[in-house]
Amino acid sequence: MNATGFDADVIIIGSGPAGVSAAFPLVEAGTRVLMMDGAGGDGVAGDDEIAPWKKMLGRELQALLPEDGLSPKLRAPTSRRIVGEFQRAGYVRGDGFVAIGAYARGGLSQIWGGFVCEFGAEDLAPWPCSVDHLRPSYAAVTERIGVSGSATDELSDFYGKSGPILPPLPLGPTAARLFGRYVPGRCGPGFAVGAARNAILTADRPGRKACNLSRDCLWGCRRGAVYDARFDLAALARHRTFRLVDEALAVSVTARPGGWDIITGDGRRFCSPRIILAAGTLGTSALVLPLLPNPPRVLRLLSSPVIAMPILVPGRLGRAMPKEGYSLAQLGYRLSTGNSSADYVTGAVYELAFLPVASFANRLPFSYPAGMELLSAVAFALLVATGYFGGDYSDNTLEWSRRDGRCLVVVRGGFDVSLPNKVTEVTRRLRRIWRQLGAWMLPGTSLAPPGTDVHFGGPFAMGLGLAHGTTAYGELHAAPGVFVADGAAFPSLPSKYPTLTIMANADRIGRHVAARR
Amino acid sequence: MGPESPRLLVTGASGYIGARLVELATERGIDVIVLGTPPRVQELRHAHAWRLGDRPPEEALRSLTAVIHLAHSWDADSECNSSSGNINLVGSEVLARASFAAQVSRFVFASTTSARPTALNSYGRIKHLTETRLMEVPQAGQRLICARIGLVYGGPERGQYGLMSKLVRLAPVLPMFGLDREVQPIHLDEVCEGLLALALGALPGEGNGLRRAYVLAGPEPVTFGAWLRTLRRALTGRGIILLPVPVSAALLACDLTRIVPFLPVVDRERVLGLASTEPMASAADLSALGIKIVDPSIRLADFRAERRRMVAEAAAMLDYVSRGKIRSRSAVGRLVRGIDRYGGGRSLGLPRFVLGCPSFLRAFEPLRRHRGHRLAERLHLAAMVIESAQRGPQRSCRNFGSILGQAVTEAVALPFRLILGGRFQ
Repeated sequence: MNATGFDADVIIIGSGPAGVSAAFPLVEAGTRVLMMDGAGGDGVAGDDEIAPWKKMLGRELQALLPEDGLSPKLRAPTSRRIVGEFQRAGYVRGDGFVAIGAYARGGLSQIWGGFVCEFGAEDLAPWPCSVDHLRPSYAAVTERIGVSGSATDELSDFYGKSGPILPPLPLGPTAARLFGRYVPGRCGPGFAVGAARNAILTADRPGRKACNLSRDCLWGCRRGAVYDARFDLAALARHRTFRLVDEALAVSVTARPGGWDIITGDGRRFCSPRIILAAGTLGTSALVLPLLPNPPRVLRLLSSPVIAMPILVPGRLGRAMPKEGYSLAQLGYRLSTGNSSADYVTGAVYELAFLPVASFANRLPFSYPAGMELLSAVAFALLVATGYFGGDYSDNTLEWSRRDGRCLVVVRGGFDVSLPNKVTEVTRRLRRIWRQLGAWMLPGTSLAPPGTDVHFGGPFAMGLGLAHGTTAYGELHAAPGVFVADGAAFPSLPSKYPTLTIMANADRIGRHVAARR
Repeated sequence: MGPESPRLLVTGASGYIGARLVELATERGIDVIVLGTPPRVQELRHAHAWRLGDRPPEEALRSLTAVIHLAHSWDADSECNSSSGNINLVGSEVLARASFAAQVSRFVFASTTSARPTALNSYGRIKHLTETRLMEVPQAGQRLICARIGLVYGGPERGQYGLMSKLVRLAPVLPMFGLDREVQPIHLDEVCEGLLALALGALPGEGNGLRRAYVLAGPEPVTFGAWLRTLRRALTGRGIILLPVPVSAALLACDLTRIVPFLPVVDRERVLGLASTEPMASAADLSALGIKIVDPSIRLADFRAERRRMVAEAAAMLDYVSRGKIRSRSAVGRLVRGIDRYGGGRSLGLPRFVLGCPSFLRAFEPLRRHRGHRLAERLHLAAMVIESAQRGPQRSCRNFGSILGQAVTEAVALPFRLILGGRFQ
């Protein structure tokens, strides 16, 4: 503590994508920043070779759990460990909702899928800031994390190109075959498909290597090709005004003269005049609610209902298994679903050849050996497409109670009543479109349980004038000096992947806080 | 659950004893509330976020019958050796005061047979200090019981027992200290029975002052050397040569385990803990609680037979799902470990002809897999182990014939699956 009595000028809670993005503009402006990380400092995995079973199941066999309907990514050992720790800590619980959060260093970026895109003017309509406000932040973040994809295809403007885009990875053979049949406009107006936009390097950078198509994405890229907020922590640590505190899990925030106190689970206290909350939507909610003078008991939590559909590309049957590849998204698509330009569904297309099939075999009516045999025989002709529906189609509530100065959050999951019809309509249209591209959509399209999309937003929306909400810069109306810099401040959740916007918005808030000092 | 069913609060429920205790209590229809990390087997619904030192939440203490306090912070032992600020001391007192205030009728504190002011290990000293401190809390005379637990064995290989079973498996020759110290082995299930009896059963002196401490330990002490031999024989079927080593050398060896790779790390505390055991009379306490102690060699023999069944079943499942391709012992070992952790850890009792010819398993696969179907869940684990044993997802272009063969087999098996699919739920 220095003469001012504060530990830092700004304390950032959370070391994930939002936290590091808010930190950069601050430390670059010379602000003293203290970042609290709920976990210890496990570094980024090195480039060493480990046994395949350890990679796929985890040293402690974390991934060896009975089927629970999660995506292959969330079943990977690291995800099991990180999300398991979050859920078992017990501060946030789901009821008909899979509460996904992380106290780990780097937050959920340790286990994310890597798809990045910018929100457009139509997506930002309910927001207090325009595309122009966000553009410098998009540019800075895109450059920092390293994004590859197409800057020229039909979707490149839809995904935005404020920052530099590295050349895309080569498409897998099955995705390439599907894409090869596509000509713009062929599948009717409103549909477009193009290269996926991934936060994956296709050129080396200091400390990170380009993707070598080793098919290891799902189990943690050992080359550092896929972005992870821990890379940014290493860069931040080089600034003298930046300090990272490990094992400091913030459990409550209280007012003090001229600033705020943050109390950790083990009773330590940190204070500063300003706080930026970036603990992830669920974690941040648990910190904000007890601090509001008159908070509602029940809040709305947005999420993006997501469907997954298996697609067979018959022309690929009987062909050889590709030697190399990656299991992140290969293609992205957009399908308009209404008259308004904000009414659309987006998703990504994955190659099944690089995913483990045990959990897919589990959903087939066949016995295990037959199911595995069948899937192994057709896997390299199979794609899986996802489709995200905007936050309006979710119907989740976030309830909370106070206990011994801590906040316990329960999220009850649900879908809007209009969702089933919408899903049927979109599935029907996509079936026809895949057919036009020479592929068959197989039966078995499924709607994932609420929460598994991990696209969260809404409780403390910016600029909507809610008493418990935030200003255009994410500052809580009821607690000046406390900023919400993650998904919790999103006024709306379009169908697009939100991570890049979470980071850009945090950057924008970081710049604002730095300028106001 | 009706108002007459007892409500039991357990701390340290994710530990070696705690996990089994929760399982046993739940099986008996006891309403179990967990403070802190819950064990995997239990649903999170009855768990409350808590750490040693926190005041327990009101909600958790409501209409409780008893508390079993197992939680212990090992970090605190090494940090501030038996000082009065130790979190184990303070935390236990906070919990006891809150429990007494909530009119809990019994508060069982898990202590140890090495709880003495002069114990060599800080664990024993801390447990002793905590016992003393808890006795001074008002109302302790009517509500507090300290359970002094001996050397616990059996069940999942975790904690002190996990370390010892690892050591005896390691090699036929084991340098070891304190071979002539006397230990009192007691089975995990017997300890849990004892704890439940202390928490919920009828005890002498109820109403006007309970006995302060009960000893839950094997009634007939055996030397540590004899115990290691029993364990080795039971776990591996072989004998062991024990080389006596002075304690000082053992402590040095402990420090070395931190440096040398591939060896299980052994904490000094564990060594000191063993070196300071002194037998305590337990027969009277055990009979007062109605706990029958089964001879460890019989218990362990049962355990070994059960392990063999599990291994045979795991091998059959791997053979079946991989169509004979995966049979390696390491893959079987991983599946057994997985079933231990996530599948309840018991054998299914598959008939002998299935173990001999795993293809018959197809007849027992349910048509619709629902959560909690034990055979289906284990086959899913087997499928995951198989995929991870190959170098990542393996695909090969199979001939049409093998797919056709599967289709025919599948059709033949269908009626059997309809009838037999519910057998191993």
